[in-house]
Amino acid sequence: MHWWFEMCGIVGYIGTSKAVPVIFDLLKRLEYRGYDSAGIATIGSSIQTFKTEGSVDDLVSITPDLAGCIGIGHTRWATHGVPSSENAHPHCDNAGNVAVVHNGIIENYIELKDELIGSGHEFVSETDTEVLPHLISEYYNGGLESSVRNALSKVQGSYALAVISTDDPDKIVVARKDSPLVLGLGDSEFFVASDASGILKYTKNVIFMNNGEIGVISREGVEITTMDGARVENKVETLEWTAEAAEKSGYDHFMQKEIFEQPISIRETFSGRISSEGVNLEVPVPNARRIVIIACGTSYHAGLFGRYAIEHFARIPVEVEIASEFRYTDPILDCGDLVIAITQSGETADTLAAIREAGSKDSHKLGITNVLGSSITRECQCILTRAGPEIGVAATKSFTSQLAVLLLSAVRLGRLRGALSAADENDFIYELKQMSANIRRVLNCAPSIRECALLFADAEQFLFMGRGANYPIALEGALKLKEISYIPAEGFPAGELKHGPLALIYDGVPVIAIATEGMVYDKMLGNIKEVKARGAIVIGIASESDTRIAKYVDYVLRIPDTDPWIAPVLASVVLQLFAYYIAYHKRCEIDKPRNLAKSVTVE
Amino acid sequence: MKAVILAAGEGTRCRPLTFTRSKVMLPIANKPMIEYVVRALHESGNSDIVMVVGFEKERIMNYFGNGGDFGVHIEYVEQKQQLGTAHSINQVKNVVGDEFLVLNGDNLVSAETITDITEKHAGGISILTAARADTTGYALVNETDGRVEEIVEGLRLSDVHSVNTGIYVLNSDIFGAISDTLYCDDRGEFGITDSIQRMIDRNYAVHAYGTDHTWVDVMQSWDLLNVNARILEDTTGSVQETVGGTIKGEVAVGSGSIVREGSYIAGPAVIGRDCEIGPNVVIAQSTSIGDNVTIEPFTYIKNSVIFDNVYIGSHSTIKNSVIGENNVIESHFVTESGKDLLIELNGALYHADEIGAVLGDGNTIGSNVSTAAGVLIGTECKIKTGAVIRKQIPNRALVV
Repeated sequence: MHWWFEMCGIVGYIGTSKAVPVIFDLLKRLEYRGYDSAGIATIGSSIQTFKTEGSVDDLVSITPDLAGCIGIGHTRWATHGVPSSENAHPHCDNAGNVAVVHNGIIENYIELKDELIGSGHEFVSETDTEVLPHLISEYYNGGLESSVRNALSKVQGSYALAVISTDDPDKIVVARKDSPLVLGLGDSEFFVASDASGILKYTKNVIFMNNGEIGVISREGVEITTMDGARVENKVETLEWTAEAAEKSGYDHFMQKEIFEQPISIRETFSGRISSEGVNLEVPVPNARRIVIIACGTSYHAGLFGRYAIEHFARIPVEVEIASEFRYTDPILDCGDLVIAITQSGETADTLAAIREAGSKDSHKLGITNVLGSSITRECQCILTRAGPEIGVAATKSFTSQLAVLLLSAVRLGRLRGALSAADENDFIYELKQMSANIRRVLNCAPSIRECALLFADAEQFLFMGRGANYPIALEGALKLKEISYIPAEGFPAGELKHGPLALIYDGVPVIAIATEGMVYDKMLGNIKEVKARGAIVIGIASESDTRIAKYVDYVLRIPDTDPWIAPVLASVVLQLFAYYIAYHKRCEIDKPRNLAKSVTVE
Repeated sequence: MKAVILAAGEGTRCRPLTFTRSKVMLPIANKPMIEYVVRALHESGNSDIVMVVGFEKERIMNYFGNGGDFGVHIEYVEQKQQLGTAHSINQVKNVVGDEFLVLNGDNLVSAETITDITEKHAGGISILTAARADTTGYALVNETDGRVEEIVEGLRLSDVHSVNTGIYVLNSDIFGAISDTLYCDDRGEFGITDSIQRMIDRNYAVHAYGTDHTWVDVMQSWDLLNVNARILEDTTGSVQETVGGTIKGEVAVGSGSIVREGSYIAGPAVIGRDCEIGPNVVIAQSTSIGDNVTIEPFTYIKNSVIFDNVYIGSHSTIKNSVIGENNVIESHFVTESGKDLLIELNGALYHADEIGAVLGDGNTIGSNVSTAAGVLIGTECKIKTGAVIRKQIPNRALVV
């Protein structure tokens, strides 16, 4: 028996145009969430379903031109087992009257399935989702909405789902519990998607559905009710992200576009938050005894950087935890703690669960996220990173914006606690204001970074090392390279090398040493000597005015002179480009690395 | 009828500003030049646009996307090598219909300018002309009763003052003439006028129509100042509560920008988003200031264009100057301004009516630096404290 853990995207359309092309378009924009099988269903005279393993393009190639103006679609990504067309959504009941797409996990599906089999239902897939259409047809009572409501009352687990039925053919019924769902309101046409970026091309007016809500979408409009049937007022929000922002704009990859967007995205992050009068950012409980930062993946690396910055500027002890570990270690938290959860998508399941755990222990909570209206913004007060939509699976601009927000938070906390003087804050803000220009200067060096990267494109492994706030940057640099070029790469605190990793060094191994000034620079030079002596080829990342580094390393990649706490941000841009050019050279699927999905909405 | 905007060229005569962006993306009153073309097309009812892009295409495509935000639909065609207007137009062969409108992305036009050709066009090929007293640098259109007899590049004809605006209505017959001319020209650039001339020689009906409406060409970087001043005349003031000091005339200030007490801003002027100005800064007439610009106390700026992300230290005086993106300028920076200067560019001399300095992107300039009138500074230069700049500075130079 397989458990199907899914990181899927669901979509739906009802309106005046043919549904199939719209559904395909919506699915393509969600493909970054997962892409190993896809499917579509529309209502004509009956429900017609097409599904396949592979990408949305594969689905397009097997789907004929269908006339229906109502449809639902799905792209899925499975962590276990082999993707197959049987297991792909949409799933139907035996009569083929009901079709369902679903993102989430039905926890009690085995019991439900046994019951349904007992009453004569036949199942064709191994998925948990398939119980939904059977349940709906089992409880069908003349109206699709009440049937879905009855079915969901039996279900335990998480879901975002969209249902169509030939018995009630002019509507889509949607429901949400713990998986994201957005409705788009166009001109007598309506859209359903797992996140807003898919819908933006068609409309900027959206409703973010809340947990435990059921929506009925017809050509006349949207009606939302709670599970108990109480009417909920439609809360329409207007999104500012333009649909074009989700396009590639002439760049080869979304990742490249997003790297090159950083001078702009970082400005958005700072907009209205810095001036000569100081940092203007609302940070809760400056008198917290301790801060615990919880995150996964790239956001975890940002969290590690945040630890160094907050401890330096604000003198508050900080711990950083990986969300999936934190939850299960019976965490020790109390009302004197501030828990900061960092998640780009705002939907990362482990991080959300961790912040709920913190809430149950009466700790103070703060979220840092890139997506307005995401689940975490409903859980706690959030600071938005404002990096704009990020499509490339490998995080780039969202990471630098997270670093920027953490620097702002650290400085603000430092001021509130009296650990940082107003004049020092003012000096730091002068440098922050130039971060955008300095990132642009790094990007202008892209050709020389590319040249250097290509010398090592065939390397079997890489080591990244840094000290202080450059250590998390080394980890992130290694992660970027692993993610998109599939070259084994590890990041280490440079002082830790002689306690083990030095054994990995042999003649010709490339080592990337982040040696910006201020972060224990002299010790770093010593560590570089250690690896050089054992045959490593060292690529140093150093400030423009650094005249010493060249004697110690084989290649130097320069960043503009700036504050020691901003240099790590610039160094991370260098490493993004370094990884990008190697992956490009190796012809890797940069925007959709194998086995990875953009937002991990299950545990 | 689709409208084709030619936006692939670098615009080498606008260096140093075009080292890092194409000419069509140079800001005028804080909007790229080409946006005025797109808006004029939209206003004149031409919403189906094809942009031919090449040099720094990502900036253009990132800015306009599919055109939705501008009320138009834009598709892009790439010209990989910049081989002149004929080659550029040849790229749209498969995306335009029988007839199509062609404009340059770096000429400012109004909706009326466009209807001056689209409404009069009656088959064949139409060329829009404008009268110029000084025709230096333009192609001349020699016509009799509206029928074009000759297009002449680079020559002065004493009795002809109709110059080619580069705005045409072409039809698909042009592609035959382009392929005849494309590979026989030894200048390395293939002008569309050569192709049109070839059609005239074959007695093809080519008509000229004149316009009195806006048609402004930015030739050299300093022309930006005149065009900017002219466009700023249409500014409508809009100021929010974060703006202190004294505001005279029409001044538009973007969201998140702060103007501190004691500052004096005389319109017409525009200031972008997230700027911090003052206290006690004077911004005089005909000045555009981009986004995220910081201007420290006691600085005076007049008739200038400041791009995004610029820091200007205290006690500076900037007149008739263009400051590119990402410049960091410390205190006491002074640009001298001069009239009727001849400025050398790519080996030729060009005239400037009145000019201070033109700075490319990303320079770092120390305290107490002065520039002589008409100085052009490249990109990513480092100019140390106390330097006096009297001649042109190439890219990435270090001046001590």
